[in-house]
Amino acid sequence: MKIACFVEAYNFNDKSERGALSKFRSTAESFGHSFDFIFKDEISKIPEYDALFIRATTDPNNSAYIASRLAEQNGLKVIDDSRSIRTCSNKAILHDLFIRNSIPSPKSMLFTGEENAIDELFDILGTPVIIKTPYTRFSSHVEKAHNREEFIGISKRFLRKSKVVIVQEFIRSDFDWRVGVLQNKILYLCKYCIPEGGWKVRSRINGRNVWGETIAVPRDSISRELKDICTGLSKCVGDGLYGLDVKETKDGYSVIEINDNPSIYDGYEDAIDGDIYEKIIKALAS
Amino acid sequence: MIIVSDEEDESDSSPFLFLRQPVHDSVLNVNHDYRYLRMGYYVSAHAETYGVEVSPGCTEIMDAYRNPLLIEKAKRNGLPTNGYRLITKSREELCAPAMLFAVNPFTNNSMKIVRSSSKLPEIIKKMSMNARFPVSLHPVSGEVHEIVQMFGESTDDEISEFTGKFYKIFNIPICKLIVQIDDGSVILNHCEPATKKEVEWDVVREKVHELRKLI
Repeated sequence: MKIACFVEAYNFNDKSERGALSKFRSTAESFGHSFDFIFKDEISKIPEYDALFIRATTDPNNSAYIASRLAEQNGLKVIDDSRSIRTCSNKAILHDLFIRNSIPSPKSMLFTGEENAIDELFDILGTPVIIKTPYTRFSSHVEKAHNREEFIGISKRFLRKSKVVIVQEFIRSDFDWRVGVLQNKILYLCKYCIPEGGWKVRSRINGRNVWGETIAVPRDSISRELKDICTGLSKCVGDGLYGLDVKETKDGYSVIEINDNPSIYDGYEDAIDGDIYEKIIKALAS
Repeated sequence: MIIVSDEEDESDSSPFLFLRQPVHDSVLNVNHDYRYLRMGYYVSAHAETYGVEVSPGCTEIMDAYRNPLLIEKAKRNGLPTNGYRLITKSREELCAPAMLFAVNPFTNNSMKIVRSSSKLPEIIKKMSMNARFPVSLHPVSGEVHEIVQMFGESTDDEISEFTGKFYKIFNIPICKLIVQIDDGSVILNHCEPATKKEVEWDVVREKVHELRKLI
């Protein structure tokens, strides 16, 4: 089988990401498949392959979406499929999906700029609130507002590029569970820790962006409740590869988001369950 | 069927109200702009989340608005195109006249016609935002026209047969098409949102009214 892996130059900047890509290639080759990296000006080569694995950042506005959809149109097996990209890339659509499917998640509301709705919003969600753009990723475009003035400033800035922002109750935690799911089965389990002095996995601390530690945990140790929540949600999106961020509170689990195209870095997500490369290649070849 | 539109005469719900409610019936989403992250897109996405039939669907929207997907779908369905090349950098073999479309998040009004080959490298560099995003390059062999398509009807009577076919294939109620007319035949190059002013809303209202009678 010929597998294409759609990447961008930045996917090779970090040693751990480079290491993971290399493991994907060697795993595919060990199963007798070819595994070629293809870049955005090689998209027209996609019909020559049997399967497409996307590692470049996905978004309906990115080249990765075109690669995914062209692959689907040509009958290739695709991870990430275009529907998963459209759903997971947009936090306003996820907000809708969570409500529709009664997914346990922080109280959230959509805000489109009506200032007379702000008081009600604080009444319902408490203080502080988290404000996100629909297209947030890697903790960017996610800010915290402690009062009306801060809220107006942040939301005005975000609404310049989006018709809607998502406002969410703030849940303090030391870490987020990152649950990797493939074909609706648990693939890996990690703790994405919040760095000291910060409040999200990538926090701005003393003028610097600081990432929290990643601690891999055996996937078999996942609690029944967390497993059911994660596979239940992934089934609402599709049967691809997802990374779910979940907070654990005294009242139970609360899903923050489901991401397509989750990060897989050598020595991080794969540190305990090292067979994730094998499972993904097998899913592509199935 | 629920008709969602900003046009009060024919609509059952405005997009803003629609997004705040659960959906239990099929939806006709009438908007002049279905771009990703715009209200027209969210209406279709909201309907799909609730598992109801919606016209146009999000896949249909993206297939029409992302230039390479548009051309591939047109080719598969027999709508004439003159091909495209996806590039991020200029190459020696590229020649003018050519029509360029930026395949990036800012695709509205991003068409450039380049008449001289020597200008291509500079314009490709600019449109690709320094090779960050691809550019779709189409050869120019005919006269370039911009037409507004409304439920298969056209602002240009000469090409209403073409817009009828376009609507049948792509199912986008309102959009602007960039086409070439070469020796009497119409060639599809691009689809983008129409501005509100460009749309003949009387035609839209009439079409929606006809559709409503069929329900």
